[in-house]
Amino acid sequence: MSTINFANREINFKIVYYGPGLSGKTTNLKWIYGKIPEGRKGEMVSLATEDERTLFFDFLPLDLGEVKGFKTRFHLYTVPGQVFYNASRKLILRGVDGIVFVADSAPNRLRANAESMRNMRENLAEYGLKVEDLPVVLQVNKRDLPDALPVEMVRAVVDPEGRFPVFEAVATEGKGVFETLKEVSRLVLARVGSGA
Amino acid sequence: MVEPSLVLYGALYEEALRVLEEALRETGARYALLVDRKGFVLAHKEALWAPKPPPLDSLATLAAGNAAATQALAKLLGEARFQEQVLQGERMGLYVDEAGEHALLLLVFDENAPLGKVKLHGKRAAEALARLAEEALAHPPKLHLDTEYREEAKALLDELFN
Repeated sequence: MSTINFANREINFKIVYYGPGLSGKTTNLKWIYGKIPEGRKGEMVSLATEDERTLFFDFLPLDLGEVKGFKTRFHLYTVPGQVFYNASRKLILRGVDGIVFVADSAPNRLRANAESMRNMRENLAEYGLKVEDLPVVLQVNKRDLPDALPVEMVRAVVDPEGRFPVFEAVATEGKGVFETLKEVSRLVLARVGSGA
Repeated sequence: MVEPSLVLYGALYEEALRVLEEALRETGARYALLVDRKGFVLAHKEALWAPKPPPLDSLATLAAGNAAATQALAKLLGEARFQEQVLQGERMGLYVDEAGEHALLLLVFDENAPLGKVKLHGKRAAEALARLAEEALAHPPKLHLDTEYREEAKALLDELFN
């Protein structure tokens, strides 16, 4: 479902960071924005409330470079994680090519992780999509919390079948951020021309 | 419904550019963009006299997000759609109209462009672009990208993220 612009010889992919509120989706994008060199990124747009909670989405365009004569670009989005912003979350998923699910390692957020995954499945279904049909990477964030749950416990509630690649992360320090993005990008690219 | 990939190329792309150019000429707007509903720019034109535009990616993404939210609001209120949208500041304005189900027309204009003309010719351009988009969706081109593309792209991923 990538967008191809033959005239400008561009291929664009949309990657969405999903997950419960305060799990670190925006922090992932901010880290990426801070580390990607100028010339390989566009402006980062954040539609946030005054207390820096995502209201609609964050957006960051990245240029991978030219591949076989096609400029290849990724548009990264976050959704607002707070439960009552579901209408906005649904809109952001339109035309998605790949998803990073950012789960929170805190024990009191285990249920929020599970609910967010269920919500994502429901919202994808509105576009005729199943989570199994899309490249999805699970990032278990906040591994630096003193009471962080074991990764397997977090995974058990969001991906009990163990289908998605998992990355541990401390997004505030950049740990696991690029690894996660690289993997979802790789999975998205693997579908190009495959008819998926 | 799975979002179809709207691809403009060849004669359809040239025709889209012609429509955008005509819209600029008739309205006096600065920039005209055709974007898909995901917020990607499909085609754009700038008036010769216009200063450097703002980042087009951001413009397209925000307008598409705004249009999606407006559409959701229309549905909440029992309307099939709210069509055109005009946002006006002291000096600059933005006209957004649906170009069919899968694309949007954006016109960025300043205080010298008469709003009536922007709306009239914007509507005409959106209708013409809607027809082109439908045609493009009916005859999607085959994309001949192979494993070589994927391998090269992976190498670039390594370079960018390592």
